[in-house]
Amino acid sequence: MHNKHKILVVEDEVELAKSTLNFLEENGFIAFHASTLNKATILLKQNNFNVVLLDLGLPDGDGMSLIQRIKGSKNEIGLIIISAQDTLDKKIEGLDLGADDYLTKPYFLSELKARLNAVIRRLNLDANNEISANEISLFPDEMRVIVNGNQVDLTAKEFDLLLYFMSNQNRVISKITLGEYMSSSYLDYGFTDDMLYTHVKNLKKKLSDYVSNDYIKNVYGVGYKFEV
Amino acid sequence: MKLITKTSLNFISVCTVFFLLGSIVMYFSVKNIVQNNLKSNLLQQKENFISSLEKQSIHDLKSDFVFISKINESKEFSFTDTVLIINNQYVLFKNIQFSCLEEGLNYRVNILQSQSQSDILIMKLVIVNIGLAMLFFLIVFYINRHSVRSALKVFYSTINKLEGFQLNKPTPLKLDNAEVYEIKKLNNAFEKMSTQIKNDFDLQKEYTENITHELQTPLSVISTKVDELMQSENLNKHQMEQLAVLIETTNRLSKINKSLIFLTKIDNRFYSDKKKILLNNLIDDKLCLFEDIIGQKHIKIELDYKKDIYVEIDPNLAETILINLIKNAIIHNHHDGYIKISLTENSLFISNSGDELSFNQSNIFNRFTRNSVSNKSLGIGLSIVKRICDLYNFNIKYDYKDEHRFIINFN
Repeated sequence: MHNKHKILVVEDEVELAKSTLNFLEENGFIAFHASTLNKATILLKQNNFNVVLLDLGLPDGDGMSLIQRIKGSKNEIGLIIISAQDTLDKKIEGLDLGADDYLTKPYFLSELKARLNAVIRRLNLDANNEISANEISLFPDEMRVIVNGNQVDLTAKEFDLLLYFMSNQNRVISKITLGEYMSSSYLDYGFTDDMLYTHVKNLKKKLSDYVSNDYIKNVYGVGYKFEV
Repeated sequence: MKLITKTSLNFISVCTVFFLLGSIVMYFSVKNIVQNNLKSNLLQQKENFISSLEKQSIHDLKSDFVFISKINESKEFSFTDTVLIINNQYVLFKNIQFSCLEEGLNYRVNILQSQSQSDILIMKLVIVNIGLAMLFFLIVFYINRHSVRSALKVFYSTINKLEGFQLNKPTPLKLDNAEVYEIKKLNNAFEKMSTQIKNDFDLQKEYTENITHELQTPLSVISTKVDELMQSENLNKHQMEQLAVLIETTNRLSKINKSLIFLTKIDNRFYSDKKKILLNNLIDDKLCLFEDIIGQKHIKIELDYKKDIYVEIDPNLAETILINLIKNAIIHNHHDGYIKISLTENSLFISNSGDELSFNQSNIFNRFTRNSVSNKSLGIGLSIVKRICDLYNFNIKYDYKDEHRFIINFN
C-alpha cells in the first residue's frame, strides 16, 4: 500500500517512542528515532524524511525551534506536532510556524495513523490518492467510496468512520478510541457508545448492499476491527 | 469626584468666605475713614465760623446749611445725623452742633454737610474693589486649574493604562514619563509591580503547562501500550474486556487531568479576554453540537428567549458554561425527556426532566460529586461552571421541583 515512507519520531519518552516506532514499522513505514533536538537535527541532515512526528518538550529545548528548520529547508516534509500541551495558543503557534497537524497526548496509535495518512495525502506524497481494501476504494479528497464500480452514498460521519477503519486495517480499535475520534472531528459532545453503535450499524448496512464480505467485525463488544 | 473638581471646589469655597469677610471689613473701614473725614471737615468749618464771628455779626453768617438759634445755656459740641427733604428726596446730612456767645447771648449753631457724596464714594470703592478681587480670583482659579490638569495628565494616562492592562497579554506595562516627582515615583512603582506580577504569572503558567506534560506523557505510554496489547493474537473475551477498561480508565484520567488544569487556568485568570457575547446565539450554536445525542435520547428542546442577552465574558469561558450545563441536562435526563432553556432580563434558566439527586443538593457544585447512577461523568463540569460564575460575580443556583433547574443571574 505504501512505498515505504520515512518517518522521524522525535520523542524523549523512550517507551512511548518504542511503541510508536513498532507501530509505524508494522504499518509499512521506515521509522527513525531521535530523543533530543540535537539528534533530530543530525538525522534530518543525513536522511530525507517524508514526515516528522515532533514532541515539543524535549530535554535540550522546545521542539518549536525545529519547525522552521524542517519546514524552511524542504517544504515537502510533513510535520505533526505531538504534545501534551493542548492550549489553543500553543496549537496556533505550531500551525502558524508550518506544522501540518497537532496531536494532543495521550493519543491513540490508530488516531496517529489516520492523521499521518491525511498529512501524506495532503502533501501528495502518495501518487495514487486512494485508500483501498480489496474491492472497496476510498477517495478522501473527493469524499467518495467506490465498491466494484458502484458509488456508495454515506453521511459525513459514516464516511469518516470508514476512512478511520480503512486507515487502520486489521487493527482492533476500541469504542473509546472511535468515540474520541468522532467527537473531536465533529466537535460533538457526548458521543456515546449507543451513537457509535448506530453509525457503525448504518455503515455496515450500506456497505452490505455492495460487498459480500462483512469487513467491520465486532471484537467481543469492546471494539471493532476492519478485517481484510 | 475628580481631583481637579475637588481642588477647584476647595479653592472656590475658601475664596468666597475670604471675599465676603474682606468685603465687609473693607466696607466698614472705608465708611469709618469717610466719616472721620467728614467730621474733621465739619470741625474745620466750626473753627472758620468762630473766627469769622469777630468780623461779622452772627446773623450774617446764616446760610442754607448753617442754622442758628438762641439758647439759654451753652453746650459742648456734638455730631448727629440728620435727614432733610430736598426736592422731595431724603438726603442724609452730618450735623455739627455747637454754641457760641455774642453780645452776652448764647446761640446754638448747626452746620450741615451732605453725606450723599461720600456714600457714593464708598459704593464706588466697594464695587471697584469687588470687581478687581473677583477678576483676580478668576485668573488664579484658571491658572491653578490648568496647571493641576497638566500636572495630572500623566496620572490620568497611568490610570487608563492600568485599566487596560491584562496579565496574559505579552506586552509589558509601559507608562508615560512624568515630570512631577510623585507621579514619576508612582509610575515606577506600578511598572515594577506589574513586571513582578507578570513574572509570577508566567512562572505559574509554565508550571501548569509542565504539569500537564508530566502527567500526559506517562498516560500516553499507558494508552499506546494497551493499544499495542489489544492487537495481540489469541486474546480471549475476558482479556480483551480488561484491556478496554484500561483504555477507558486512562482516557478518563487524562480528561480529569485536563479538567483540573483548566480549573487552575481559570483560577490563574488565564482566560481574561472580555467580549460582548450574545447568549441567544451561543446557546443555539452549542445545542447544535449535541444534535446527535439529543436525537438519540428523543429529548424535546424548548427555547424561550424573552430578550437578547449580552454578557461581557471571555468567549472560551462562556462556551464552557453552556456546554457543561447543556451536557449536564442531557446526561441526567430521561429518554423522551425535555430541556427548557429561557433567557429573561438578566438571567439564564436551564431546566430538564430527570430523577432527583442521590446526594445533598448543596454539594452539587463540589468537585467529584456525582450521581451514583451515571459513573461516566467526571463530576467536575459543574464545579468548573461555578468557578467561572464566581470569577464574573454571576450568581448560580440549583433547585429541584419535579425537574432539575439551574439559574444564572448575570447581575
